[in-house]
Amino acid sequence: MSEVKTSRIARFVAVAVISVSVVGYFTGLHSPIPPRTVPETAPVENEETGLAANEAASVIPATSYSGMANATLKRHQHMQFTGLKSSTDPLAEIKIESNDKLAALQIRQQNRAYNGAPPTIPHPIDQRSDAACIACHGEGARSVSLRIPRMSHAVLTNCTQCHVENSPRHMMATVFRENVFSGMEAPTEGPRSFPGAPPQIPHSTWMRSDCMSCHGYSGLHGIRTTHPWRSNCTQCHAPSATMDQTLLAEEPQFLPGPQLNE
Amino acid sequence: MNGDMTPADAIQRRQFIKATAMAAATAVAGGTVSPLPILADEPKKRIEWDKAPCRFCGTGCHVQVGVQGGKVVAVAGDRNAEVNKGLLCVKGYHVGSALYGKDRLTKPLLRDGDGYREISWDEAIKTIADRIEAAPERFAFYGSGQWTIPEGYAAQKFMKGGLSNNHIDPNARLCMASAVTGFLATYGVDEPAGCYDDLDACDVLIMWGNNPAEMHPVLFSRVVDRRSRGEKVTLIDISTRRTRTTEACQHYLEMKGHGDLAIANGIAHLLIKNGTYDRRFVDSFCSFKAPDDENPSLHGKAISFEEYKKQLEPYTPERVEELSGVPADQIRMLGDLFGNPALKITSLWCMGMNQHTRGTAINSMVHGIHLLSGHFGTPGNAPTSLTGQPSACGTVREVGTLSHALPGGRDVSDEKHRQQAEGFWNVPAGRINPTPGYHTVKMWESFCTPTSQGGNIGTIWVQVTNPGQTLPNLNKLFNPKGEDKAGLEDKFLIVSDVYPTATTRLADLILPSAMWVEKNGVVGNSERRTQQWFKLVDPPGDARDDCWQTIAVAHELFTRGVDGMKDRDGRFLFEVKDHDKPVPIWEWEHYYDVNVDEHLFEEYRQFSRLKHKDLAPYSEYVKARGLRWPVVERDGQWHETHFRFSEGSDPYVEAGKEIQFYHSSTHDDRAQIWFHPWIAPAEVPDDEYPLMLCTGRVLEHWHSGSMTRRIPELSRAMPGGYLEINADDAADYGLRNGDKVKVESRRGSLVIPVWIDGRGQPPRGSVFVPFFDETMLVNDLTLDAIDPFSKQPDYKKSAVRISKVS
Repeated sequence: MSEVKTSRIARFVAVAVISVSVVGYFTGLHSPIPPRTVPETAPVENEETGLAANEAASVIPATSYSGMANATLKRHQHMQFTGLKSSTDPLAEIKIESNDKLAALQIRQQNRAYNGAPPTIPHPIDQRSDAACIACHGEGARSVSLRIPRMSHAVLTNCTQCHVENSPRHMMATVFRENVFSGMEAPTEGPRSFPGAPPQIPHSTWMRSDCMSCHGYSGLHGIRTTHPWRSNCTQCHAPSATMDQTLLAEEPQFLPGPQLNE
Repeated sequence: MNGDMTPADAIQRRQFIKATAMAAATAVAGGTVSPLPILADEPKKRIEWDKAPCRFCGTGCHVQVGVQGGKVVAVAGDRNAEVNKGLLCVKGYHVGSALYGKDRLTKPLLRDGDGYREISWDEAIKTIADRIEAAPERFAFYGSGQWTIPEGYAAQKFMKGGLSNNHIDPNARLCMASAVTGFLATYGVDEPAGCYDDLDACDVLIMWGNNPAEMHPVLFSRVVDRRSRGEKVTLIDISTRRTRTTEACQHYLEMKGHGDLAIANGIAHLLIKNGTYDRRFVDSFCSFKAPDDENPSLHGKAISFEEYKKQLEPYTPERVEELSGVPADQIRMLGDLFGNPALKITSLWCMGMNQHTRGTAINSMVHGIHLLSGHFGTPGNAPTSLTGQPSACGTVREVGTLSHALPGGRDVSDEKHRQQAEGFWNVPAGRINPTPGYHTVKMWESFCTPTSQGGNIGTIWVQVTNPGQTLPNLNKLFNPKGEDKAGLEDKFLIVSDVYPTATTRLADLILPSAMWVEKNGVVGNSERRTQQWFKLVDPPGDARDDCWQTIAVAHELFTRGVDGMKDRDGRFLFEVKDHDKPVPIWEWEHYYDVNVDEHLFEEYRQFSRLKHKDLAPYSEYVKARGLRWPVVERDGQWHETHFRFSEGSDPYVEAGKEIQFYHSSTHDDRAQIWFHPWIAPAEVPDDEYPLMLCTGRVLEHWHSGSMTRRIPELSRAMPGGYLEINADDAADYGLRNGDKVKVESRRGSLVIPVWIDGRGQPPRGSVFVPFFDETMLVNDLTLDAIDPFSKQPDYKKSAVRISKVS
């Protein structure tokens, strides 16, 4: 009698478990939460971490429950403990090869329409508050796998006015109108008056007044300053009056030279 | 199209050719392959920068445009522009890409059965001329607040001065007509007295149904950035939903649709009850008015202060709470703020108060509480309406491209005004028709009504706008054109645009236009600032200036002997002379032989004196980043005006007057403080349609999105339309993010995905849909009820129901 009862209970439990999991499985399949779209551009290796740049630059999404068993802790996977010291010492000398610079400029291009355009945001954002932006980007930071650029300009409190998400999380969109705009390229170097002279700043410094945002600790390796212990940049590197839209007389005036009598 | 190559281009191109030739010669002579000389590379590498106002909204930011090899390659905020001081918004930074969408229209296209065939410009111009010549009185011009001043002026002169036809109206009718009637009813003359400088000086900023954090971000930053500098400024958001603006505000007053009418009355009620209104200001500079129900007109009837006070009596804070949904304490807070003369208060509004079936009333009432409390005329004290288009003020309000208006604040119904215009245009007396033409809603209704049933508009020419997406109640005012059984076979739609749109979809003739820095231009922004730019790059393919298109059609009619295209002396209406020799500007090859913009602007400038909206010569605008009118010459210098009607700033205020409303409708230098009663919206939710639908814009897309949806950075950030819904309502309907719903109103239906508490957060019982997506036309649902005076529709209050689509 009790055996029959037990087996009936067991059968009931089994049916319940199976139906719940079947329902759960199909509900999961129909979940409208969009999968994370990966940008189409070819991945560029990050010079320091070996991670694809897109990956390194974005927030790594939380592992799903189903994926837990096979999950590897991605950030640790690429840890290079030997390199740790130099990358955490903000004053260490930086060695940059010309390829590093080109690679860095290529990474920058991925979220800018042209050199000088406000970069788009490679991670989800709060739709209505700027506090979260400033919490991280106010100072900027860098770990082995994550780079948080510091704001290149003074604090402005309406971040999304200029910076928008580069792939929306709330809608699954893959098709867009094509556009053939080809933006101004980043300069590869500033003009020097002689080899070894400090280069002039080859871009506008308007909205990019904090040199260390890109060229400092939180910047891409290829465009970092080789001498981070110096902090008064414009002492040696002159900005351009034209590019900075400085209002000067159209024709500079000069005193006449000494008049030579014949 | 070498005709309009700039001298600098020509030199560069010559240098390049020369250098290439030399390199080839050297290679041949020396028998070696020499590397390309440095010069050959230079024309491509050099970036030339020039100024232009941004193409998009009415803020009027100046940008620096970087041009390389004949293409726009970069944009920077113009640091020397007072409006934006070097800052832009994300649309402005990417405005250059708007030129390079891959599907730019480059050939005139004529409908041929279900499709189109490419035709020559010659054939296109002749086709339009045929339509007009056959029935000039059945022709209408539908223009835009994105028309440049010369474009709008040419269209205006062509219609009213040439065809004696007043059926010309702009999309701005849908956008700021109620602001115009509000200014006229209050001050007797249009446009704000204050300017953006008020944003730097105010202690309190009140935004009435306005979301500047997304729609006028540069102006919003101008205020919120003051807080980063340690200044104290109180921001108040009076709105029907939470937005990005709300997050930056100290106070959020959530109101029901039309609650603003009650709130304004509540403030006036408290000012009088508490004795905190500015008695001296009111006694010196104001009179009182109320609507005249027996004989309705924009100028109503005069009432005494006692009558005004009596009418306001019912609007106690508690009663206002009932009507508006805003707690009585918050009404008292507003009353106290306005009652404090030490505070400087600026009000901003845009579509919330304008797209309103009582738009004229609420505009007048907000002016009224500023006047009643004396918060007017000093820096930081101003009621200021914002515009959404780059030249809604310049082209629509000042050039007067409205069905009842003539340039410079004149009316077609005023004989003296007609005579003045006929004089400036040198056309025979009596040329201008004294009867106002059709306003926007009437024009499109007539176009979509069969001729046999009295639909007496047969042809509409649309320039620089997208009515197939932006008109209200599209199923009545636009879509019938495309329906088989509508009986509209004889109707003909001409559309000049830069991209295929919801409007070109039903066009019979599509004309490819030049845009922004592909042509010369002059525009006027929200703060009376007139701004100029030069053509910097060539338009693609056969795309040509809208202004040229109008002049070419006018000339075609002229050659056919149409009298209207001749002036008093038998000369062409748009004759332009260079060194006493007429230039054939109707031939595209010669259009840029002279600066047609400058010629039209100088002619138009004569109109600007009547209402003291004096404009400077064109050459002054070339030098400046815009100048705010009246621009008056003193000591050989041209001076702009910051605060109108204020002594010391406005040169037309007589000494010792302090404040002088010199265009007062009562001719006594006084402004009118209006009483208007609270009235319910034209449509309110009921059992059948239980939700209130509001429509609007988003940061990334400008209006109908025809430009911004072709800019990758903007389109990726905001790819498509959505329905914003309150989380609790969503739960009730069993909706999750991304679920599709069918939205239905009494006029149409729409299927659209849901975004719960997304960009904005509507309160329970209301939903919001942006109108930028051409595949999810929310205007299939909206109401075409209009304000009785401004004829502007209300896009913000339509009753709808929703159901989940599986």
